[in-house]
Amino acid sequence: MIISRRAALLGAAAMTLCKPALAQDATWPSQPQHVYVGFPAGSSPDLLARIVTEPLAEKLGQPIVIENKPGAGGVIGIQQMLNAQDQKNTFATTINGPLTTAPRLTPSLGYDVAEDIVPVTLIATSPLVLVVAADFPAEDLADFVQAAGKEPEALAYGSVGKGSGAHLTAELFSDRAGVEMLHIPFTSYAEVTTAIIGHEIDCGFMAPSAAMQYVEAGKVKILGITSATPFAQAPGVPVMAGQAGLPDDFRAELWNAFIAPAGTEAATVDTLSTHINAILADEAVQKRLLDMGWQAAGGSAEELQQRIAEDTKVWGAVLDRIDAKE
Amino acid sequence: MNGWDGFLHGLSVATQPGVLIYCVLGVLLGTFVGVLPGIGAMATISLLLPITYYLSPEAALVMLAGVYYGSQYGGAVASILLRLPGTPQSAITTLDGYPLAQQGRAGVALFTSMISSFAGSMIGILVLILLSGALAQAAIAFGAAEYAAMMILGLVAASTVGAKHPAKSMAMVVLGLILGCVGTDVNSGEQRFIFGQTELMDGINLVALAMGLFGVAEVISNIRVAERTGVPPRVALRDFLPSRAELRRIPFPALRGASLGSFFGALPGTGSTISSFLAYATERRISRRSEQFGKGAIEGIAGPEAANNAAAISAFVPTLSLGIPGDPIMALMLGALVIHGVQPGPMMLDARPDMFWGLIASFGIGNLLLLVLNLPLIGIWVSMLRIPFRWLYPAILIFVSLGVYSVRGSSFDIFAVALIGVIGYALSLARFNPALLLLGFVLGPLIETNLRRALLIGRGDPMVFLQRPIAAAFILAAGALIVMAVVQVLRRRSTDAVETES
Amino acid sequence: MKRDIPDLVGGVLLAAIGLFVVFYTLAHYEIGSLRRMGPGFFPTVLGAALALLGGMVALPALARQGEAIHIAWKEGLAVLAAILIFAAGLDRLGLVLVSLTSVLIASLAAPDRRIGWRIVLALVVTALSVAVFSFGLKMTVPLWPGR
Repeated sequence: MIISRRAALLGAAAMTLCKPALAQDATWPSQPQHVYVGFPAGSSPDLLARIVTEPLAEKLGQPIVIENKPGAGGVIGIQQMLNAQDQKNTFATTINGPLTTAPRLTPSLGYDVAEDIVPVTLIATSPLVLVVAADFPAEDLADFVQAAGKEPEALAYGSVGKGSGAHLTAELFSDRAGVEMLHIPFTSYAEVTTAIIGHEIDCGFMAPSAAMQYVEAGKVKILGITSATPFAQAPGVPVMAGQAGLPDDFRAELWNAFIAPAGTEAATVDTLSTHINAILADEAVQKRLLDMGWQAAGGSAEELQQRIAEDTKVWGAVLDRIDAKE
Repeated sequence: MNGWDGFLHGLSVATQPGVLIYCVLGVLLGTFVGVLPGIGAMATISLLLPITYYLSPEAALVMLAGVYYGSQYGGAVASILLRLPGTPQSAITTLDGYPLAQQGRAGVALFTSMISSFAGSMIGILVLILLSGALAQAAIAFGAAEYAAMMILGLVAASTVGAKHPAKSMAMVVLGLILGCVGTDVNSGEQRFIFGQTELMDGINLVALAMGLFGVAEVISNIRVAERTGVPPRVALRDFLPSRAELRRIPFPALRGASLGSFFGALPGTGSTISSFLAYATERRISRRSEQFGKGAIEGIAGPEAANNAAAISAFVPTLSLGIPGDPIMALMLGALVIHGVQPGPMMLDARPDMFWGLIASFGIGNLLLLVLNLPLIGIWVSMLRIPFRWLYPAILIFVSLGVYSVRGSSFDIFAVALIGVIGYALSLARFNPALLLLGFVLGPLIETNLRRALLIGRGDPMVFLQRPIAAAFILAAGALIVMAVVQVLRRRSTDAVETES
Repeated sequence: MKRDIPDLVGGVLLAAIGLFVVFYTLAHYEIGSLRRMGPGFFPTVLGAALALLGGMVALPALARQGEAIHIAWKEGLAVLAAILIFAAGLDRLGLVLVSLTSVLIASLAAPDRRIGWRIVLALVVTALSVAVFSFGLKMTVPLWPGR
């Protein structure tokens, strides 16, 4: 796989070398476009990709085929994008993991984020919320941090597996709040919630959409949200940053971005970025994203580049902390 | 929502056109594959699994479940007419069904099997409604230790109860558990046994495993066999009517069979095949006409057919309310639920009432459909038995390959199907039961994570499994089953020895 | 000499797999402690159990007459070849060509020696799979060579 990808990249590089005279390919897009998604049809990242690519196809005047290649937390989607024969008309949408933590967690990754991937634009972000049982003896984050700080591992939290957003966020939170919690891995938010309600564990970070129905049923409560600003899908939930000893810039978000393979021309990236940002400015699109738990973001390619670098650093430090504990 | 309100609510879900049509499709397809010897519910459900990605979760589950209980009706047809069990559950029906058919009373045998199947299903549905809610309530108190212990008991029961060779059965379960370890370990993030293949990071694909073990392996072993099956007799509608004396012999055996089936179906690890054998043994023992058994006794059809259908329905109790599949088909159902983002378990009743009650209500509708449709359609099912297998199997192979590809657009998974198919064929040649392998495969990761979670939460004390009464009871029961199996094998060996000496 | 060959071979193979799992796990993964079981704990226990069970299947088979088995070589090879060709060709040749080829190869195993029905079957199955998967389910799969 690695060899064929390298070959493809060499081929792409050779092609760009061969035609310096034609500084840009003015005819793009002249063919159907392919957008790889590393998650199955019907999943949240897939629906997000479809919400964005439907209007994008109209703007480009070419049909866009979504290629669902799920697996390995989204890594396979990116591998397949890099493996595709036609590198000119091939792109991907991906969550943050494959661009930030995967190089640390996946030995057989087969790509280098800085060398092989060209960022286009951020699409949307999603915060996590801290969930405890309805009868947990804490009314706000300060109470919670005090309960967690009584002794190391006084509280146990659930995640959806090692290296998952829920795991990393909880460890980032523990580090910044100066507490030590016991990590109990589960496989789904539903299991984590069941364990919280059954008092098997004390708390967990999860997507707001996974928690809201149990909040309404009065079985759990939410103590805070990890975004920098309040989130419409979790009304009335206070922002964590600046509370209970957490720094003001405390932020932990999942995000979704549009990317291209290395060798994609700057003009193409510009066109895509402009179109997608215009699409994300549409209120109807924002509403559809919000209904699925995503806050429309947008921004330039440079901003996405910066976000990747920042998150790689932050989560890398959290992974160091986890490794040191084990 | 209590049971009755829930069921009414479920009816409103299950009668939506978008769900109802898949219910009809499911039961018809189930009957079809049940009638055909060689392809069973297992193969069909694994074949349909990827296709259900394109349906709503409710429609998908209603259809897959329809295939399952529909195949139980269909299985009896081939058993009675050809003495070839269409499904393992209907094997026992050949004993009295085929003699009846030879006496020219095939219609009566078919009528008995259908009406008993229907009665069994209805009683199974009642048990399901009564038990699921209560169990889900109780299960909130279940922790990781209870789950791990209960699944271990389920696996031990599945491989020892009624097994001729417990060591072979257990070996299959353990092999399944090992295959379940492939992929990223949830606790440590370690990627186990992937040998550099990124495609294996999420584990072996359940659909590829099921299709290889059942679809492909069954095709290989049936190509030659299926060409030699006999030609079924013609059955006309008026042959169905039993005499009044015969009619009187149906209700009580069906009722007893249904009770047995509901009970054993709801226990994890014992399934509908075992309950149909038990029902047959019971009827023969208590009947005043026990000499007729094996020569065409109505009771010998009514009891087992009611039992296997009741068990097929009550098997959903642990699957839906605990998230623990009791048999391999339920393991596939669980996989289907998870694929559709529905986490079965105690919270499902609250979180997905539409799904839960809709599915249960669809059982009622589906079984009614089967009863109403099968009487007029029986002629068609019989003529299905005349389709040569050589027309079917190449199509099955293409659909298997495309189906597994559609899961995640991966050719790797088709290669995996080929390899697993060969392994599955080898296993069936050597009489190892691949269904147990699949059960172990699905339960393996659940057992491992719950075991490790229980020890993490218990801060490393292995006594957590014995201090908690429910978990301790499961562990002791599992231990008792293993001891019984060992004793049984030793006793059989000593009688064998005596026989060879004399 | 009495031997139950299927059980003997099966048992020995299972025992070998079990031992391989034990050694591979010990070489690559941490066992951990009871409190924090490592990724190697469960596979090691399972591998040892499989080795034991394999032995329990194989040993008695040494002194027992087994049932004769008939391996369906021709059928197995045809089926295997059909699937492998389908897997290798789908992305490159497209669904139509690869489905026609695979049906023809699979049908080689059938006892009916004539040729006409095979071609009809190949056409029907291909038409059905294009209709169901590509048009009906809107699955993204190449129909013809080259994307």
